[in-house]
Amino acid sequence: MKAARLGALISALVLAALVAVLVVSDGESDIGARSPLLGQPAPAVNTTTIDDQTFDLARRKGSWVVLNFFNSTCVPCIAEHPTLVEFARGESTRADGVELYTVVNDDADAAVRDFFAANGGDWPKLRDADGAIAVAFGVAKVPETWIIDPNGFVRLRIIGQLAGGVLESQMTRLREASSS
Amino acid sequence: MNGTPPQHRRRQRAAWVAIIVSALALLLFGTVRDTGPLTQQDRIDSVTKRIACPTCDGESVYVSRASAAESIRAEVARQVGDGVRTDDEIVAYVAERFGGQVLLVPRATGLDALVWILPPLVTAALLGALWLAFRRWRAPSVATTTRRPLIVALALVVVVGVGGGVLVARQSGQRLPLQTLTGGIEDSTASLLAQARLASGTDVASAIELYDRVLVTDPDNVEAITYRAWLVMLSARQFDEDLQRQAYGASVAAFGRALELEPSYADALCFLGIVVFRDGGDAESSREFLTRCLAGAPPAEVKGLVESLLVEVEAALD
Repeated sequence: MKAARLGALISALVLAALVAVLVVSDGESDIGARSPLLGQPAPAVNTTTIDDQTFDLARRKGSWVVLNFFNSTCVPCIAEHPTLVEFARGESTRADGVELYTVVNDDADAAVRDFFAANGGDWPKLRDADGAIAVAFGVAKVPETWIIDPNGFVRLRIIGQLAGGVLESQMTRLREASSS
Repeated sequence: MNGTPPQHRRRQRAAWVAIIVSALALLLFGTVRDTGPLTQQDRIDSVTKRIACPTCDGESVYVSRASAAESIRAEVARQVGDGVRTDDEIVAYVAERFGGQVLLVPRATGLDALVWILPPLVTAALLGALWLAFRRWRAPSVATTTRRPLIVALALVVVVGVGGGVLVARQSGQRLPLQTLTGGIEDSTASLLAQARLASGTDVASAIELYDRVLVTDPDNVEAITYRAWLVMLSARQFDEDLQRQAYGASVAAFGRALELEPSYADALCFLGIVVFRDGGDAESSREFLTRCLAGAPPAEVKGLVESLLVEVEAALD
């Protein structure tokens, strides 16, 4: 009888602890995804664009940089493309406009060229032939979008398809935070 | 047992001690022995077997043909080829990027450590239980009349189990990135440069010191050379003409060196154009540098400075 009471008490304590953990745990309600790179200097990115121009992320310090990992056959990438085109159009009118770059993930230059010719978007497209950039950022699946501040620190990671207006609102928030 | 002669008991004990010592020595030899040099391919295989493919279920990067696994394999091959990082550091690099779930060998810290600690603990508990059972068979009266041996045995089980588990975890568990011998991400040149940039708006002296630290390990770092010279020139403007002249000479020389190392570096061209006009009064050269700078697509912050200055320079030349 004593053992049964003790068992019931222990079960109740374990259940209460579980409920407490669920109540106080940090939910995934924020738009940004977790990454050990957040708040850290961005990894080095030295590559070429599909137009054979050299690109070094370290040389873009002084600008906000958005890297969008992309594949022309990935359905969410195709679906979010109009959002990116709209975002790029809005940023091009600002003096401190974001520099948007597509990081081509496991795709051919010709396929990327054809996609952008058909769907718009004149920002640079970076080659990542052996996946070094994807590994450096911990990108396993596309699309993913990363925001890097003018000092070269990683500020935001968004996994999956971008909803309309998300990048604009996040950039407003980040600009306000950096100027305060 | 009481009828066993003391000489025989001593021999039995000596045999047990010899067996235990031999077993421990073999275990120790097994864990610390040098398996000899590995080829690069051996190292790539061994590292990729320790990393799980982040997009597939239950496959290692070594086995998987998924795109993400291919990318990780290529990165591992590149880092092994570079010869800078150890195998542990390469695994830690991948885990730092993709998260701990890609580690097929669990960490030796946090909750993961239970994977290492529990088996020795359970083994010690079982051995302790066996020892108690044997004792009870041999001397039932002692075992039932006193609780002392049980408490001692329990304490021994906990100490041996947890101690053994910690040792196993230390020996076999995956090291975290910040446990690597070369230090973590915060020690890197990229980090120092980012910190310097952050400090340059509020604490110029600290920013210059951080750039100096970068230049100690990497004297040809173009960003550090350029931004250090720029900050030195900005600071010198508060002092007398003599000091300003000295700073001007040193800054122009530094921008020149940066451009020697990287002729298309827009930031160095921009700062050179600004300094040559503002501090040297040479509008002609300034126009040339600023035009070349704008052609090199400078970042937004620098571009803003240069575009307005170029109008001033053009006006000075007219």
